[in-house]
Amino acid sequence: MGDTVVGIVANPLSGRDIRRLVATASVFPTAEKANMVQRMLTAFGVVGVDRVLVGTDLGGISAAVLRAIGTRPPRDPPWPEVEFLDQDPITQTAADTVNAVRRMAEAGARVVVCLGGDGTVRAAAAACGDTPLLPLSTGTNNAFPQLREATVAGLAAGLVAVGAVDIAAVTRRAPVLRVDGAGRSELALVDVCTSVNRYVGARALWDPAALTELYCTFAEPDGIGLSSVPGVLCPSPRDEPSGVALMLCPPAEATWVVAAPIAPGLVVPVGVRSWRRLEPGEVVEVATPRGVVAVDGEREIEFSGAPAPRVTLRPDGPRCVDVRAVLAGPARNRLIQEVER
Amino acid sequence: MARTISYREAINEALAQEMERDERVIVMGEDNAGGAGSPGDEDAWGGVLGVTKGLYHRFPGRVLDTPISESAFIGAAIGAATAGMRPVAELMFIDFMGVCFDQIFNQAAKFRYMFGGKALTPVVIRTMYGAGLRAAAQHSQALYPVFTHIPGLKVAVPSSPYEAKGLLTQAIRDDDPVIFCEHKALYDTTGEVPEEQYVIPFGEANVVRDGGDVTVVAIGRMVSVALAAADELAGAGIQCEVIDPRTTSPLDTDTILESVESTGRLVVVDESTPRCNLATDISATVAQQAFGALRAPIEMVTAPHTPVPFAGNLEDLYIPDAQRVVNAVKSVTSWER
Amino acid sequence: MTDTLSTSVAYELKPEALHDAYRMMRTIRAFEERVHEEFATGDIPGFVHLYAGEEASAVGVCSHLDNRDTIASTHRGHGHCIAKGVDVKAMMAEIYGKSTGSCHGKGGSMHIADLSKGMLGANGIVGGGPPLICGTALAAKQKGTGGVGVAFFGDGASNQGTTLESLNLAAVWNLPAVFVAENNGYAEATSSTWSVASDNIADRAAGFGMPGVIVDGFDFFAAYEAAGEAITRAREGGGPTLIEMKFTRYFGHFEGDQQTYRADEVARARETLDCLLRFRGRVTETGQLSLEELDRIDAEVAELIDEAVDEAKRAPKPRAADLTTDVYVAY
Repeated sequence: MGDTVVGIVANPLSGRDIRRLVATASVFPTAEKANMVQRMLTAFGVVGVDRVLVGTDLGGISAAVLRAIGTRPPRDPPWPEVEFLDQDPITQTAADTVNAVRRMAEAGARVVVCLGGDGTVRAAAAACGDTPLLPLSTGTNNAFPQLREATVAGLAAGLVAVGAVDIAAVTRRAPVLRVDGAGRSELALVDVCTSVNRYVGARALWDPAALTELYCTFAEPDGIGLSSVPGVLCPSPRDEPSGVALMLCPPAEATWVVAAPIAPGLVVPVGVRSWRRLEPGEVVEVATPRGVVAVDGEREIEFSGAPAPRVTLRPDGPRCVDVRAVLAGPARNRLIQEVER
Repeated sequence: MARTISYREAINEALAQEMERDERVIVMGEDNAGGAGSPGDEDAWGGVLGVTKGLYHRFPGRVLDTPISESAFIGAAIGAATAGMRPVAELMFIDFMGVCFDQIFNQAAKFRYMFGGKALTPVVIRTMYGAGLRAAAQHSQALYPVFTHIPGLKVAVPSSPYEAKGLLTQAIRDDDPVIFCEHKALYDTTGEVPEEQYVIPFGEANVVRDGGDVTVVAIGRMVSVALAAADELAGAGIQCEVIDPRTTSPLDTDTILESVESTGRLVVVDESTPRCNLATDISATVAQQAFGALRAPIEMVTAPHTPVPFAGNLEDLYIPDAQRVVNAVKSVTSWER
Repeated sequence: MTDTLSTSVAYELKPEALHDAYRMMRTIRAFEERVHEEFATGDIPGFVHLYAGEEASAVGVCSHLDNRDTIASTHRGHGHCIAKGVDVKAMMAEIYGKSTGSCHGKGGSMHIADLSKGMLGANGIVGGGPPLICGTALAAKQKGTGGVGVAFFGDGASNQGTTLESLNLAAVWNLPAVFVAENNGYAEATSSTWSVASDNIADRAAGFGMPGVIVDGFDFFAAYEAAGEAITRAREGGGPTLIEMKFTRYFGHFEGDQQTYRADEVARARETLDCLLRFRGRVTETGQLSLEELDRIDAEVAELIDEAVDEAKRAPKPRAADLTTDVYVAY
């Protein structure tokens, strides 16, 4: 079977954008991200992972992990061998996540754990191919990655990696929205939204009056971010293949005005003119003549005129590990040792 | 109408009357109300020695407590001055100038010149100086010479309640940055002070006592020391002319020179330490411009070249006293080549 | 330069506003490039510290300001001066030490100021600006003008006590202030990743009781939006904000700096990240401005800079008597 390899990529820049100012989003400390990585290494060591590939960054996460490797007392439980992926130059952009995950997949990682928000997971999803992904939330809008304690997530990922589980039973392919526009192609894990802002600017979306169309892979009533609008109005469960499409407008012209938590601390009235189900495979042409397409809550693509950007809901997104399913199932037995008497 | 009030009250009155007259005057400093955010009385202290007491309630919103961040709030007072306010900021002890000196000597002092005459920085920085309270080395210095040295700053050193009110009123109305040096041992001393507002122009010395035998120039609290010495010397038949410059920058050299032309003898009494202080400055000016009139070398009565000691007996040796002034005067009046 | 956020869609920049922003950035760039050339001839006295590369920050921020508002700058202050509306020809004359300069030749490059435009001066003291902005912001608050104070400072100054004290004081007094940390990667020759202990300068904001935001300093639109939010917040009594602009400076710390402490990041920045290049690309993509219009602006600016240098060179030096004038208002 060979080396059991797991990858961990952590985004140091998640959680520092303008939503600290226009909403009450918090800053997720780098030290905490570094601690999460270390907790996972402990968990991997316990379940028998051989090697861990860790992405490198200039934000102090990989440096803190390196320091910890060097200063751990010998009596602490052993960690797997850690290899830092430093072959690619660090650009301090999403490309770092893409590069790291690509190398992890090429090196045969059985699972890739990804620490970040929606934006980070999106980048990882673009590169992971069939390798299962375990997203842990540390960003601003964590609509996609779930909030999970890192040690437990580490145990789950480790058990997947050492083959203690039936992968099909514990992973689920997340649907994605593919956007093609202005010569670019992007994947969204949660939402695609068009805005009449002309420019990407400070990226985040916080002004509901500018939004025109919203497409979501899923929409849960207790979600945060743009998907909370349909989440409250017309929920679309995560485990259903279809999504939802909404036409938005200023509240004065709306059929419904939804008080939606579109960012931490920001509950604003969003006007909805109409909504409908979005079927997998359906190609939708954006109706807004010019503006910006936002992907998972961040403005990404500036477009104007023809051809209009196209949005497609696809069922073949990343395979995501369900932590609870791993630990609730028979893999749990690996953690139990019956003592002979 | 004049009546007897203390040095502290005179300063408080100058502030209150100017704040009444001109809404641009604001006051800020550590515990100038004292204490912001505290559960008890918001004007509990009114300044560490009570100088600004009562202003907080009388002028709501215009007396600001500050955190202990001199470079920030002294800088803020300076910035606010350039933006049309007339701030009176308190640098609690002149000894703390080290933590905010850049804002004073590189910013406030130089704006008008560096910006080609287009800046106005009417800020007053009130500060306590002087030894005598056993406050030890970092709370007892007389550092006005350092500020006097800087072009662009004005420095006032009031010697009595009357001087204090008049000079502070002038300082607030003055369009240049002023360092206003209050001797901490003078706060409880009293004197005649008019009820109404008045100003003492800068650069005008006061001849406190006439005399034909020797010119005694004294700064700040040393004026009272010089006067005490003059009384004793009068008994010995020596008449001292005691001059209080009131402001060290601008310095009224004309009055001093005129006096020395007449007496031919000069003693300078300066509480600050001897290297590069006001005594050396005044002595050099007189030596240069009235050399022919001098009938004896100039004598300087100053602190020694040491930090201020804590022990009471040592501090008393440190501070120039009337006896040392008497000795200096006798020395110059009996000098023969 | 206005057209800001009273519209229902925040930060919708109309073509006129984009035109003005581009002209302003191009003026700064052309001014600095020309000073770089002229300095090398030896005609310019003293020291100059050039802002080229950082234009999006000055213009993105100052686009939201008017004459009620004040800014304090650094030794690298030409960009802030131009963005705040200080006369370009007077600036050039000041750099040459001539009597027609903004400060009559008495200040020089590091002390160019125009208080009538709310420009408190370039400042030769690292960290000298933030306390002054606490003051002007305090004055605006006391007088109820609705004005804000913006303190520009560098990654070097972010470690200076005056800056840290000012952040605290502004939060304690709830001042209408915005602190813009222009992190161009170097404090003189020392890298900011080494000298700033926290991961980012913006991370310190939470420690001082205000929001901290990181902005791509090469992106005019990002700078414009972030600054707009912070300035609005300040005007509305929401208190101070710390914005960290991340970019790089194209020239050395001072002109004459051999820059052997640097790698080749400038070449990469000029080719792919440059704020003017990106701006041109994007406004023409959206069709809001045409290449012809942008090129016309470039030509007009070039002419302005030529005139400024010409006039500065021919202008008279200060008279000897000016040595002792303006020390005081009256002495």
